[in-house]
Parts: sequence; structure tokens; C-alpha cells
Amino acid sequence: MLTMTTTRAALWAAALTLAAAVAAPAAAQKPFADVGKQPPITILVASTPWYPAFEKVVGLYEQQTGNQVKLDTTPFGGMLEKARNAVRSGKSPYDLMFADTQWTIEFYEGGFLAPLKEIDPAFELPKELLSYGDSGWWNAQKKWRTADGGKLMAYTVLGNVQLLYYRPDVLKQAGIAPPKTWSDVLAACTKLNDPPKSYGFVVRGEKGNGIRYDWQSVMLAEGGAVVKDPAAGDFTVTINSPQAKAALDLYIDLLKKCGPPNYGTLGQGDVIQLLATGKAPMGDVVTAAFASFEDPAKSAVVGKLETLPLPAGRSGSGGAVIGNWNAVVPKNAPEAQQKAALAFSRWFLTSDAQRAFAQAGGIPNRSDVYTSDLAKEPRLRWMPAYLETMKFAKQELGYAEGAQVEQILGLRLNQAAIGEMSSGKALNTAAKDIEELFRKNGRKTGALPPLPE
Amino acid sequence: MSDVAPASLPPAARGGWSGRAIVALALVAILGPFAWISTASFKTQIAIYAGQFPFTPTLSNYADVLFGRRSDFAANIGNSVLVALVSTVAVLAVGTLAAHSLRRFRWPAWVSAGFLGWTLVFHMVPVLTLLGPWYIAFRDLGLYDTRAALVLTHVTINLPMTVWLMTAFLREIPPEIEEAARVDGCTPLDAFLRIVLPLALPGLIAAGILAFVFSWNEFPIALSLTSRQTATVPVAIARFAQQYETQHAQMAAASVISTIPAVLLMFCGQRFIVRGLTLGAVK
Amino acid sequence: MTAVAALANRTFRHWSLLPAVLLFVALTLYPLANLVRMSVSTIEFAQGTETWTFTPRANVAQLASDDVLRPALVNTLVFVVVSVALEMALGLALAIAVAGLGRGKHWVRTVMILPILVPPVAIGSMWKLMYNYDFGIFNQALVALGATPVNWLGSTDLALMSVIVVDVWHWVPFVFLILFAAVEGLPLDLIEAARVDGATRWQVVRLVMIPLLRPAIVVAFLFRTILAFKVFDEVFLLTSGGPGTATELVNLHLYKVYFEQNQLGYGALLSLAVIAAIVAFLLVARKAAAAVRPA
Repeated sequence: MLTMTTTRAALWAAALTLAAAVAAPAAAQKPFADVGKQPPITILVASTPWYPAFEKVVGLYEQQTGNQVKLDTTPFGGMLEKARNAVRSGKSPYDLMFADTQWTIEFYEGGFLAPLKEIDPAFELPKELLSYGDSGWWNAQKKWRTADGGKLMAYTVLGNVQLLYYRPDVLKQAGIAPPKTWSDVLAACTKLNDPPKSYGFVVRGEKGNGIRYDWQSVMLAEGGAVVKDPAAGDFTVTINSPQAKAALDLYIDLLKKCGPPNYGTLGQGDVIQLLATGKAPMGDVVTAAFASFEDPAKSAVVGKLETLPLPAGRSGSGGAVIGNWNAVVPKNAPEAQQKAALAFSRWFLTSDAQRAFAQAGGIPNRSDVYTSDLAKEPRLRWMPAYLETMKFAKQELGYAEGAQVEQILGLRLNQAAIGEMSSGKALNTAAKDIEELFRKNGRKTGALPPLPE
Repeated sequence: MSDVAPASLPPAARGGWSGRAIVALALVAILGPFAWISTASFKTQIAIYAGQFPFTPTLSNYADVLFGRRSDFAANIGNSVLVALVSTVAVLAVGTLAAHSLRRFRWPAWVSAGFLGWTLVFHMVPVLTLLGPWYIAFRDLGLYDTRAALVLTHVTINLPMTVWLMTAFLREIPPEIEEAARVDGCTPLDAFLRIVLPLALPGLIAAGILAFVFSWNEFPIALSLTSRQTATVPVAIARFAQQYETQHAQMAAASVISTIPAVLLMFCGQRFIVRGLTLGAVK
Repeated sequence: MTAVAALANRTFRHWSLLPAVLLFVALTLYPLANLVRMSVSTIEFAQGTETWTFTPRANVAQLASDDVLRPALVNTLVFVVVSVALEMALGLALAIAVAGLGRGKHWVRTVMILPILVPPVAIGSMWKLMYNYDFGIFNQALVALGATPVNWLGSTDLALMSVIVVDVWHWVPFVFLILFAAVEGLPLDLIEAARVDGATRWQVVRLVMIPLLRPAIVVAFLFRTILAFKVFDEVFLLTSGGPGTATELVNLHLYKVYFEQNQLGYGALLSLAVIAAIVAFLLVARKAAAAVRPA
């Protein structure tokens, strides 16, 4: 997203130096929040497309408050391990860590984190903050992430949901209206499908997290669910319901009829590649990819893509799975630094800081930023679709067995997609494996009658 | 450079044109993907995505890797050079001495078989399972986030291969030569330094190159025991494999850059070893 | 000779072996003991502390009922046998061929080892791009020649072979390097004598050189096999074990169990099982080699 040619890089450097030179003497800009003098802190953050935006905002914090923040930028593949190592022994090298939503349960249940209000009782989440499915709240009794009776353990740094990306020019030429339901998408993409020149609709089919995450958007839209009521402790497996089967059949149709021949191995990078090269007029992609589509060094379709909230299904509403980064404070970090981490967080969650974050290329987490004049900027034109999607987006697999359930689903869904087994059999097998898993862990569980195979 | 290397195979054993054909084919097969990576490093991401050829070359990837705000690549290369060099010298020294000792002196079977067996079994353990205990151990010793920790662990994981390799190479040296030296009044240490080592030169170079390469490219331990300022090249390159998509253009540039110091070091290292050994070598 | 030098020489026998043993034991004892202890326990985290419970039966039961493990083992065996065989054969042929070159063979050696210089994560990503269905260079070449593009990584039949090709490209230099050094160290008089006796070039290679190269061949085979069982980076980046279970390999599965699912106890047992599998494989290979060796 921020790959620039050398000249532009030089121009940026010059501009920034000039800006700094001008800004510095004229008393440091009034801080977005009054945090006082704090000891330096170290943040564990992954190397992601939005990292440069975060780095800029941190620079702003340091400039305004004079407090130091060190960023340990780690490859995404190494984040979980570093976070685990940090909390499991001695003094934590990090005062603030960003945990992907799938990892939060492990850290909450393990008791490794300091509840935010115990560090600073006055710490409050701004009411404009989007809830992101309460992933930052932990009810230890119910073992569930909910604000109802839960303690505040984290806040969302950045929430990624997927949006429906499409080419208005291509659709207009074919006389197709922007799709509102998944059946619309199927109808539109079969019409637009013209291999090998163009694939009507691209979405992930890759085994594991890829197909699981993307398929669940369709599953939710069609009214399916993995377990019955985990918040209430009812782990009856409902993955092999007729609604889920309808969703899987629909998904396989999309892959087969509108995707490239290697749809069984499409990952997020592949989907982005097909959209960016102009080979696909529609796709299901993360919000964070929008900036790359607008970068001429990374995209052949600059300015040509628009976004819509993910389509609706038989449930009457759309379905989307939330993938968000949660900022947590390790219990074994020194107290003064824990407080400093919270001070930074308070600053980061202000409206001004979030606006700066959005302008630098990040995804803000406050609704007032989405309804402000920023949404009118052309390169932030994904904002309305995002806000709309957040209304129905859900957290999925929010329990300790989440990683294993994902592996089971990720394998069976992929096998159904590539034709190794029928959709009914795939869901039945997955249901059986998942039920066994819950039973072994002592959960209250059960099964639905098997689907026809 | 090859003035002191052992003589070539006699013409009788050379392959003639079939040998040359095999070598030519191999060179093409090896250099092909390499050429591809190198051209990719000069392309923009979209040019890589679309498989464009011809394309407009750009230096922005190299600029981003070397000078970008996110990147400490020069420092990472420095760390890698230090860790790889020191651990290679250390493992060669320790490993060759051990291999020589096991071969030359009659150790009881349980010592030689035990040591060799233990190293081999350790080599079979997936590195993933070693990370936790090593992290805790180095943390407690105050060596977390130091290059010393990396050097120690790299020596440990490369020791099995070095010892076994040197055992095989030392076996090629006829025992009569060492016997003759002993009869001449040479001390064991002298015999090792002046006779055995020079004769084992090709093996030393091979073992040294491999130890260096494995240390240079080692990823999981480096990731787990370092943070930003002590990170090595593979960790830096892995930063380009991001959560959703890989930044292929920068990764290609970083890979090309990272092979250069490695090749240079091996080249110079070779000459250094050769020169050092010939200075001490005897008739 | 000074007293120190005399002492050094007298005790050379001991201090030549001691550093290796001390260093190795110091750094490997704790992790290995930890591994064994983990393999019979279940480890859970609560209130910021670890609790270990002794559960050998549960772990073994899980091993027996793990139904991703079976295809993973089969795939791994196929992978190891095919790639190691190819790498040994190619490595040996190249070592002899390059050693037979006149000037410039050291330059050739430097070029030959380039693949092992590239970080594995870059190898995986680059080859994934080359295998890309729509834009990869292989399919572009095929299309240019009028053929249909091939689904290299997405077809259940081809995926494992595609991964093996990458592995062979990556590791032939390893075998080559070791065997080349061994060839360089061969006694020339024996080879000359054989030639003088009227042996053909091929006979010289088969009956004189290869037996002399045996120690190096064994070591190259040993370490290449162990490394092949431990393969991770290439598969992880190329296919993630898919499509279906076509490229699910044992070390990848271990990563998912031990690391992603955080099942430390069962993961440790799985690693021990893998080690046992490797040892079994090597023993079988040794028997096979002994049976094939000419008298």
C-alpha cells in the first residue's frame, strides 16, 4: 500500500521534514488526549498492510506527548508465538500486544492478561466505539466474550470485515444491477464468467482458515450456525443443518461456475491478485485490501472498484465474520508501563487519532469517523459499506476449541469443494468430529439428525 | 584460488561431453528460477501479479527494503553476518575436533556411539518443540534478545551435521600418513593442525558452507529469540509475508540482497581457510 | 616445548571432544527431557500458570484416533522416498560431472549452491507465483506453446509432485556440495590404476568411485532424509497441506497440533512418533542398501 517510487519517497521525506520543522517550534500540536508524562512502552504489532498507518499515528503520539513508544514489528506468522512466550514467563518484554480475535480466548482463559479497569479504574471505552462483537469483554464464569457480566480485557485496534468488491463499469456494460443477495451474485457471475479472460466471482476455496472464514459469511446469511447457543453453554453441533447445506451448495456453485479451475487453492492473496489484474469483476475480499487496489504499483484497476456490504441470504440479512486485532495488556508487564500502555490507548481511541489513522490508510474503529466528512473522500469510499456490514457482522468460533473446529471445518469444506465428498457427507463428517471434540472436553453437546449424503 | 586445491580427476575418470551436458542442464535449471526472482525484484507488484514481460523496471522495491521506514534491513544483514560467521567458525572448530577425536583416539564404544547417536536423534526433533524451553532458558540467563543466544543455538543445531560430515571426510585420509607423522615425533595436536586439517580441506569447506547457510537461513529460532533490533535476515524477509497477501516485489528484492553477502562471505571464507591452512601445512 | 603446550598435547584426547559434548549436552538435555515429559502429559493454562497432568493413555488414544495423521504419514513417505532418491542421484551425477571439469569448476560449484542460499520463505512464495494458474511462468509458457495450462498446485494428483519438484530444486545443491567435496578428496592413484587396467569410464564410477564415496553418500543420505521428514516451509507456503489432504505432511500436521491448536502434550507425543518413524525408515533403508550392495 505504501510502496512508492524513489522520487515520490523523496518528496514525501521532504514534505514531512518541512512539516515537522514548521510544526515543532510552534508549540507541539495540542495532544488529542491529555495523558501526561509516561515511561516508554513496547508494543507487539504484526507486519500488516495497515502497519505503516499505525506507525504514522504512533509517531503523532510521540510528537504530541513526548512519550516514547517502541514498535516490535513481527512477521504475522510469528505473532502468536511471541505473544505466548511473552506472557508465560518472567517479565513481559511487551506492554501492549495485538492479538488476532482467534487467539484472544486462549489468553483470556489462561489468565495471562490484566483487566483494563484493574490497571486504571477510570478507563472507559468511548461510546462511539464499534462493538466488534464484544471480543474485548470476558465473562469468566460463562467462558464467553460478552459485555454482559464480563470484564474488559481488550479493545479493538483494527477490525477487518470482508466486503463485496465489484466493478460498476463491467456490471453496467452487462446490464447487471449490483447484487444484494447471494443468489444475485450467482446469477450475475455466471453471466459475467468468461474464462480464461475473466472469472465472474472470486472467493477463497483454500483449505483451512481460507474457506472456513469466507464460507461462514454465506452460512450466516443463509441462517446456519456451527453450534446452537455457546453463550448459554449449549454446544449442540448444528453445522449439518439444511440451511448450512444450502449455503455450502451455493458456495460450491460460486466456486465451480464462476471461479478459476484452481478454486480449491485460492487464498486471499490469489483473490486479490485476480481482482487487481482485472481478471475478476467481483470478489469477496478484506476491507484492508482496498488501499492496494488504489495503488498504481499494485493494481491495474485503480479507481474502478466499488464496495458493497456482503450480500443477504434466506435469513433476511447479510452475514459477515469479524476478524479484529485486540489490544491486550500482559499481567506480567511492570505496573507503571501497564498504565502508560493504557494512556496511549486512551489517546489512540480519540476521534482525532482515529481520523488520523483513517487518513494514513488504516481502518478506524469509531462510528463518528464513519459518519463524518471523511467518508466522502474518494479513497475512503469503502466506509459506508463497512459501517453497514458492521451492523450484522458476528464473531465466530469464540471458544477454546476454536482452532480445532476451524481445522475440521477447513478440511471438510475444502474436500466438498474439490469434489472429494458430497456437501452432505462433508457437513455430517465435520459435525461428528466437532461433537466428539466437545464431548472430550466435557461440554454439553449433541447432534442434529444427519443430512442426506 | 584453486592453486592449492587437490588436483582434478584424471582425464580417465572425467565424463567427457555427457558430463558437460549434465552440468549445463543443471545450471539452467538452477539459474532459471533465480533469474525469475531477480527480474521480479525489479517489477512492481502488479507487474508480478500479471506476469508481465516485457515490463518497466523499477528500483522502488530495493529502496523500500533498504531505506523504508518499516525496514531495518541493513541492521538485519549485519546481525545475520555476525551470527552466521561466528557460529560457523565455532561449529567447525568444535565439530572437527570432536570428529577427529572420535576417529583417532580409541574411545569406548558407548562414548562414540552415544555421542553420535545422541546428535543424530536430536537432529530428528522438530525445531518447533525446542523453542519453548530455549526461550525460557535464555530468558532466565538474561540472554533473550541477544545474538549470543542465536550463536549458541545455531551451533547446537548444526553440530550433528558437522560432526557426521567431518567424520566421513576424515575417513578419507589414509591412517598411514598420520602414523608416519607420529613416528617422526609429531605431537597429536600438531598432527591434527598440520596434517589432518589441510588434507580435509574440501570437506571443511563443504561443512563450513552448509553450517553457514543453515545459520544464515535459520528462521524459527531467530524469530523466537530476537526482537526488532537483533532480528536476522529471514525474519526480516518474513515480514513481507503478511497476513493476507505476500508483498512479492519487496520479498524478491530482499532475497536477492540477502544472497549477496552470503555468496561474498563464502567466497572470501574459502580463500581464507585455504590460505590459513596452507601456511601451516607441511610437505 | 612449554609446560602448557606439553599439557595440551597430553590431554588433547580429552579436550578435543569435551567442548562438543559439554555444549551439546548443556543445550539439548533440557529441551529433550521437556519433550519426553510433555508427551505423557496434558498441559493447561489457567490464572497465568501452567498445570501439567499425567495423561499417557489419553495422549496415545489421541494418536491412534488422529485421522489426519494417516494420510500425512503416507504422503510424507512418498515425499521422502521420491525426493531423496532424486536428490541423491542428481547430486551424485553432478558431483562427478563437475569434478571432472577443468578450470572454472569452483565457479560452477558456487552457482550450484545458490538455491540453498535463498531463505525458505522466499522459495515457497516465489515458486507459488511460478506455479500460479493464471499468471505463473510455467502456464504462460505452456499457453504460448499452444498447450492448456496445468493446475499445478490445485489438482490432487499433481500437487505433491509439484512440491517435490521445489524440494529437489532446493536440496540437490546440498547433496552436490557434500559429494563434490568427497570426490575432490578421492585418491587419484586408485582411479588411474583402474583405468590403466582397462575399465570403462562407467565401470570406474560404479566399481571404484562409488564404494570409496560410501561414507559421504551415507551421511548425505542420512541428513537429507531427516531434513525431508522435517520439511515445513515449502509445503506451508505452497499448499498449506491442500487440496484436501493431498499434500498434508507430518511436520505440517505437527505444527497445526502443537502450535495452532496449542496441544502441547499430544504434539510432543506426535514428535516422538515422528522420530520413531524416521528411525524405522533409516533402519529399513540400511537393510535395503546392504542387500543391494555388490559383494
